[in-house]
Amino acid sequence: MSFVNYATREIQLKIVYYGCGLCGKTTNLQVIHEMVSPDAKGDLTSLATSQDRTLFFDFMPLVAEAIKGFQTRFQMYTVPGQVMYNMTRRLVLRGVDGIVFVADSQWDKMAENVESFNNLLENLQLQGDSLDTIPYVIQHNKRDLTNIAPVNYLEFLLNNRGKRRPSTTSIAPQGKGVFETLNMICRLVLNNFIRENTPKSVNKEEKDLVLM
Amino acid sequence: MAFALGKNDVNKINRVLRELLDQSESTGCLVCDHSGYVLAQQGVDTQDPLLISALGAGVFTASRELARILGEDKFSAVFHQGEKKSIFICAVNQDVLLVVIFTNEASVGLVRLYAGPAADAIRGTLEEVRTRIDTMQEAPEYTFVLNDSKGGLFSKNTDATKGQ
Ligand SMILES: Nc1nc2c(ncn2[C@@H]2O[C@H](COP(=O)(O)OP(=O)(O)OP(=O)(O)O)[C@@H](O)[C@H]2O)c(=O)[nH]1
Ligand SMILES: [Mg+2]
Repeated sequence: MSFVNYATREIQLKIVYYGCGLCGKTTNLQVIHEMVSPDAKGDLTSLATSQDRTLFFDFMPLVAEAIKGFQTRFQMYTVPGQVMYNMTRRLVLRGVDGIVFVADSQWDKMAENVESFNNLLENLQLQGDSLDTIPYVIQHNKRDLTNIAPVNYLEFLLNNRGKRRPSTTSIAPQGKGVFETLNMICRLVLNNFIRENTPKSVNKEEKDLVLM
Repeated sequence: MAFALGKNDVNKINRVLRELLDQSESTGCLVCDHSGYVLAQQGVDTQDPLLISALGAGVFTASRELARILGEDKFSAVFHQGEKKSIFICAVNQDVLLVVIFTNEASVGLVRLYAGPAADAIRGTLEEVRTRIDTMQEAPEYTFVLNDSKGGLFSKNTDATKGQ
């Protein structure tokens, strides 16, 4: 659930990168942190094992003037992908406003991708949320490797919930597709925020008046 | 609907926080929710309030989960003692936490003593907000509009070159 502070004129939104172990979630945040302009970002904090596997989460705040008159803070998180850390994934998912599901394109990761996606559905359901209402983007990562499934096949496996959802392809360590994914999820989350916080009774003219 | 705090709500909470700082001789305190959102803070500016709340919410939930596994369901606070600084986290309500940071010149007993009533006061304010949101859906304070961002919201810093 998003949060608005009228005193500081600030909106906070939470975006979580989800996906199976080693699919590239942490790499996405590292690349954003490395490449985004300094005034848009805060520190990247990683709670990881000595082998660089995410243990708790990665966290990085991003800020933009995305909504007129409000500082919009995106709190970016990754979950630990390893199966055994499910409690931690649930914790990180709390209050989520948007999800990037990172898929590992390698053939031998298909079962893990599907398992992770189902695990996401299950964890959302436990907290009373669902992908029917929470915006999400599917990122097909590791497109540089040779033993990978075609995008069509990945879409067939993971992007099959009625209406097709936006998806991107990426090579995260090279920065390819990382910002496309980021901007897409931010746009979806912002639109959803505005839709949810605009009462249906307000028509166009009234809306413009309130705005000024 | 977003959870929205108005100026008056924030003022009320800040007043409670300032009083808590005074009474408990702590250096900073912060109200955040379990998603890691910062609702209000006093004296935490120099550290990173967003990070403190992300980590604080994580620590609190993880500790409560540990306690639950041990069969303890009346879990209400976490206390971390450091050499120079300590941190105390307690629940305001189901979704919201109060984090207090203090140097070891102050005492955890004092902090605990005053954090309780402070949490009660904040809970009261948040309940008022909740009822207001539930009853006033038809007349929001603002209508939100997107800023036109040509291209994407975030872009690669042209100065940065990726060594790969
Ligand atoms: N070749 C290639 N390697 C990648 C790509 N994306 C990530 N990797 C590598 O895969 C490894 C794991 O990446 P991480 O970002 O740590 O994976 P993660 O999803 O955070 O993993 P957990 O924290 O265990 O859930 C690293 O060595 C990355 O460099 C990609 O697109 N192509
Ligand atoms: Mg990781």
